[in-house]
Order: sequence, then structure tokens, then C-alpha cells
Amino acid sequence: MKTWCLPIAIIAAIAVSGVGIPARSSATVASDQPGAILVFPKIVVDTTQPPKTPRGRIDSLIRISNTSDEPITLKCFYVNANGHCRGAPSVICDPYNPEAVNLCATDDFCIPGWQETDFVVNITARQPVAWLASQGASLCDQSLDPDVPCFPLGDSRSGIGGQTNRDTRVPPVPENPFVGHLKCIAVDRNEVPKEHNALKGELEIIRSNEDDLDVQAYNAIGIRALAGRNDGDNTLVIGGVGQCVEGSRANAVCGHRNDCPGGTCRLPEYEGCPNILILDHFFEGANDPVSGDRINTVLTLVPCTEDYERQVPVEAPIQFLVFNEFEQRFSTSRIINCFHEFRLFDIDGARPGDVRSIFSAAVNGTLTGQTRMRGVTGDDPRLGYTWLGVAEEFRDGAGSAAFNIHYHGARPQSDFIHLP
Amino acid sequence: MGSASTTIRTSRLGLSMLIALTAVQAAGEVTTERGSSIIIFPKVVFDSQGLLTGQPIDTIIQITNTSNSLVFAHCYYMNAAPVDPTRPISEANPPRWQEINFDILLTKQQPTHWVVGSGRPQNPSDPICAGDPKNNTVTNRDCVNAGFDPGRVPLTPDPFVGELRCIEVDSSGAPINGNHLKGEATLVTPEQSAPFATADASKYNAIGLLGLNSDLNSNNSDFTLCIGGGVSAECPGGAEYSPCPETVILNHFAEGAANPVIDAHGNGPSSVTTELTIVPCTQDLENLERPRFTVQFLLTNEFEELFSASTTVDCWGNFRLSDIAFNIFNEAVIGTRFVQTQMKAPPDQSGFLAVAEEFHSQPGIERRAALNLHGDGKRIRADIIRIPEGR
Repeated sequence: MKTWCLPIAIIAAIAVSGVGIPARSSATVASDQPGAILVFPKIVVDTTQPPKTPRGRIDSLIRISNTSDEPITLKCFYVNANGHCRGAPSVICDPYNPEAVNLCATDDFCIPGWQETDFVVNITARQPVAWLASQGASLCDQSLDPDVPCFPLGDSRSGIGGQTNRDTRVPPVPENPFVGHLKCIAVDRNEVPKEHNALKGELEIIRSNEDDLDVQAYNAIGIRALAGRNDGDNTLVIGGVGQCVEGSRANAVCGHRNDCPGGTCRLPEYEGCPNILILDHFFEGANDPVSGDRINTVLTLVPCTEDYERQVPVEAPIQFLVFNEFEQRFSTSRIINCFHEFRLFDIDGARPGDVRSIFSAAVNGTLTGQTRMRGVTGDDPRLGYTWLGVAEEFRDGAGSAAFNIHYHGARPQSDFIHLP
Repeated sequence: MGSASTTIRTSRLGLSMLIALTAVQAAGEVTTERGSSIIIFPKVVFDSQGLLTGQPIDTIIQITNTSNSLVFAHCYYMNAAPVDPTRPISEANPPRWQEINFDILLTKQQPTHWVVGSGRPQNPSDPICAGDPKNNTVTNRDCVNAGFDPGRVPLTPDPFVGELRCIEVDSSGAPINGNHLKGEATLVTPEQSAPFATADASKYNAIGLLGLNSDLNSNNSDFTLCIGGGVSAECPGGAEYSPCPETVILNHFAEGAANPVIDAHGNGPSSVTTELTIVPCTQDLENLERPRFTVQFLLTNEFEELFSASTTVDCWGNFRLSDIAFNIFNEAVIGTRFVQTQMKAPPDQSGFLAVAEEFHSQPGIERRAALNLHGDGKRIRADIIRIPEGR
């Protein structure tokens, strides 16, 4: 009896305390719980008249709320993923949509971009705030247009305990038209990252013309901070196991500083990004069984790792496994970079309406499928190369709908957000 | 030898405990983005004449097995349509609270779907989608039931409003903690007259309850499913599934507020209204007892001002926010365009889950967008789903 009680007690104690085992984040990101980092994978704007892109006149409404009783500061980063013509850098083009009008000269081509713009937002206790990506927002005291969302608590009015939105100014997205993504990180007033799992957000993409309206919405993806882990530096460690930095056991797995003689143990500060993304979708070109409209799905992926300090975009392959309703499997892969917006048929290089794509209903034979996506670990074995995303369903001549995709598992490697 | 085998057993037992403890630590609240053992679609609507909803509407259900093993599930529709759908719900015209159930089977990684108003018959000769690669043309797009049929999915009555929940079971029909199911629901309005002149769709993810300790299957496989909570007479082994959230959080437009994009584009006047659908975590499908519970709303406007309200939900609730508590959700009352609403049930009543749909309108046109809500915290008290024995 004694011989087996002791090891069980030790293992149980280890499990409860976490001492001596690799420190690993146990869960992954969530779009249905408040987090300390919010990721909006897709923001689109084109308010030009007439619109310069096939998207039509479109804008994104960003909504964020603080679910706690404490005020919170956000450090937010827009990433401008617009393409620009190589020979004419001021001309915006769309590298993601093969149907887009090619605005570059005949012998020129479109280069995807990656340019960050950052700003600070102060939110008071339980406060909901919102802004239009095309126009940004300032304090309502300073706002010229009363119909545009703004931050109401400023010089003329304060909230409970004197809390205000002072020092908040959200710039409009840097270009119009615009496509890109947004990440917002909970920080303190000194812009030091903070464990504050109280942020929730949604994004609405609204297309409004005189005779047409379309609205779609998705939840921001929340990355939860792990209690007691944030070291306050500018490198945010997303998921993975603890790892020795420098010293005689550099790169070895660790759970405590003592495990890394001569170095430090870098522990995950936030829950990890998912190992696999799972998307249920209609196959390309299938008819909606209710409305009869043809359905296409657009997938947007952004990397979990982001280096705002050195402005280096992540580039890595993604493996796609496709299952139809006959349990038959197809696969393909693509190298993607920073931000990518795909129509599904574009993933394996097909053209619109092409019946040869493995995402085509004609190839699969069934109406719906499951696609599992996995970022391939790259040259750096310490880096997770995980991705986040959102999907949109478009029905020809009808409305569209956005939805969050599912996740499976976590990785032993970490992703990193490097702040400037 | 005996000592060595004891040590191995001990290590295995210890490792199992470690796994179990890790699993318990990893177990969170309900989820809308992970494979789960119970999936709940709070809002399922089929109304070919638009008697209840004002316009024809149907729902496409998608369910996927995310594992490499065969998965079985019991599914239950709960019909909350009134007895006489041409008249509003009243004491003389109550909701039906009619349960219909069926089984589905999914092979490894298999996705499936069906249209609620049509069901899915079992027919291995369903025509498949097809194309002609030589001419690059799709020759058959009408392949709605192509693929391995998951079972015979019944048609619902017309009209039908209510919920669908599917519970993962083993081949004998006993509930298990597999966490292999995910799902989505798409609400589709076909082309009609204004304000839904063209077809429209909104989509949400099914809400999943995670089976706990799935490596060990601590589910005792009886027909009383324990959602969160501790050890009790009904739940002698404690929780079998992750608890329902203590607080459900909704960010929304104040009722009647303008959509700033529509107005900025010069296509106003615009307005937005939000419809909330609430289902209980506790459900007695054996005795068809209707859980009746109170939902407390705590509203915070952009000025950080607090308001509160409450309503009672009887089994399945579906209402515009403007129908609650003397128009407290209206922009004119609450004073700002954007609002955060936190919702709770009293601790001694059933927990609940919810989805929201926003309806945005500009002159002559209305469009819908669905949103999954956020959950925060865990309910301490167990919610119980009791399913009919032998199913």
C-alpha cells in the first residue's frame, strides 16, 4: 500500500502545483470568452465613390467592450495588407482576388504589403466602444460629426470614479481601399502588457449601396493571459512549453528558472494558438439547398506570431486536408505570408468556376466538406507557426455571412508578438 | 516481479491521474469553436409561409465528426411553435414543447448536413454533384443529399421554431465524453418581396459542452447528464460535462440605433434591432418538464451608466430586445448607440445559453447577421439534461 501511495501522491502534487513539469498553456484561444489580446483577422474598407474594388462600398465597424469593473488600456495595431504595384508603389492593387481589376500596368504586378500602424484606446469599467475603420474615432468632445461613433467620456463628462477615454484617438485605416487585420493588447497606462482577461470584441462588415445592403459579423478571437506569467517585457509569449533562453541548457524544456543554469526560463504568458484550424464549408459552386443561390467561401488567415518591432512578416506553408461527405480525403498546401484572403478554389490555384479544384462541389460530389488546416513548423523549431482565421460565405445575388472557425489542440512551440 | 508490476501499475495509475488532473484543469466553459460531446443549436427555424417570422425561412444544419473514429449521436429537436401558428402565443395558444429525436452516425472526419424543413432521407443513390472538366462546367449542382447519409433525419412540422441538441453516445446508445462533434446553423431567407427582396443568410456556431476527463471517460453512461456542479444524489460522480457560463455577455446596438455605415454612405435613415434566443442548460426530455427561469440583464452604456432588467424564459425564449422591460434597450432610453449587456440566471435556477441576430435596415431593405455570445465564469450548481431511457 505504501509503495504505490507515495508516487501517486507525488505525481498528483506535481500536477496540482505544476512544479517540475514543463510549464505549458493548457488551453487555446477562444472567440467566445473575454481575453487579454483581441485579434480581428479581417478588416476591409472601400468607401471610394465609385468603389475601386469589386467588394463595393464597404466599411468595417469594430466593437470592443471591457467586461470587468476596472478601466483598461489597449495598444492596438492595424496591419495594412494592401498590395501595391511594384512599378507604381502609390497604386493600390489586390493580390488576393484573381477577379479583381488589375490596376497595375501591363508589365507590372501586385506585391502584397505588411505595414503596421499603432494607437492607444482607453476604456472605462464595463464600457462598450466602437469605431468605423474608415474614419477612426476621437473623443466626442472633439468629434465634428455627431453621427460617427466616438469616445464619450472626456473633458466634459467622466464615468464612475472619474474614469475617462482621454488620450484615445483611433486613426482611420491608412489607405482607402484597405484590407488587413487588427490586434489589440491589454496594457497598463505605461503601455506595459497586462494580465487582464476582460476584452471582448466583434467586427461587422457592412456593404451599403442605394439598392443593396449586406451585413456580416464575427467575434474577435481572444487570447487569454496566464495568471502570474507576464514579465512585462515587449515580447509576448503565446502558448508552448517553457524553454531555456541562453545558458548551458539553451532551448531545453524548462518549468522554472533553476532548470536553466546560466540562462532564463521563458514561460508562456498567454494561452496558445491552435495546432489545427477546422472549417466546415459548402464546396465551391454548390447551390444553397434553401435559396438555390450558388455559394462561395472566403477564408482569411493571419499568423499568431507578429514582429511589429522589426516589421518582419511571417511566411510559412499551410497544409489543407479536405474531407467530403463520403469520407474521401484530398489535400493541398500553400505558402502564405502575413495575411491571406482566399476564395477556397484559389487555394489550389484554380480559377473562378473551375471544376478541377479539390474544393469544387463537382470534384467532391457532395455539398459540404470539412477542411483541416495546419501551419507547418518552419526553420525555427522554437516557433509555433500557428494561424488564426475567419470565414465568410457568399451567396450569388444574396447576402453573405461570416463565422468563426473551430480549433483543435495546441503546440509545444510558442508564438511571439514583438512589440515596438 | 510482483513489486515491479505494482510499480508499473502505479506509474500508469499516476500518469492517468496526471492526465485526468490536466484534463480537469484544461476543461473550461462551453465552447463555440472546439469539438464537444453535446452540441446545441439554440435557434432553429423552418417557416415556409412566414406565419411566425414574417418571411419564409429555413435552417441548414451542418455537423462534423472531428475524429478518426466512428461517432454516434442522439439528436433532439424541441418544437416551441404555438399550437395554432396563425395566432400569437398565449395561455389559450401555448407553445407545443414537443420533442422529436433521432440518431445520426458519422464516419471518421465526416461532415454532414441537412435542411430542417426537408430532413434527410436515407438513399444511397442520391445524385452527386458533378462537373465536366473538358468544358469546365458544373453539370449537377443540385446534390443536396449526396454523401453517406448520417441516418434518417426527420422533417420537422411546418412551422417549426425551437432548438436542436445532439449528444455523443457509443454504439449502445450510452452517453460518452468523446468531444468529437462540431456544428453550424445557417438561417436562410429565400428570395421574396421587400424587405427581404433578395435571399439572405446568417450563420452561427453550435454551442458545445465539453465532456470532462475524456481520456478516462468519467461519464457514468447513464441517462442523467451532469453539466458542471459537484457531487450530488443525481450526479454521484460529479460533473460529466463542462459547466454552463455564469454570465453570458452580449455587445449590441441599442434598439433602433442607426447603423453608422449606412448613414455615412448616404443610404439612411437606418436602424438596427437585435433578436436574442435563449435556451436552458437544464432539460428533462424524459418527463418533458419545462424549465422556467429568470434572466437578469445588466446593461452598461457608453457613459458607463448601469441599467438593469429581467425577463422570464419558459423553455425557449426568442425576443427582440425592444420587447423587454419597458423599452430599456431603446436608444432613446439608454442614451448611447452601443451597449454591453451581461445576463445571468439566479443560482437556484437553470443556467442558459444564447445566440443573437442583428437586423439592419435601410429604406426598403433589411439584412440579418448572427453572432455567438461570450461566456464568463462557471455556474457552481449542476445543470441536468435527462434523456429518455433506452435511446
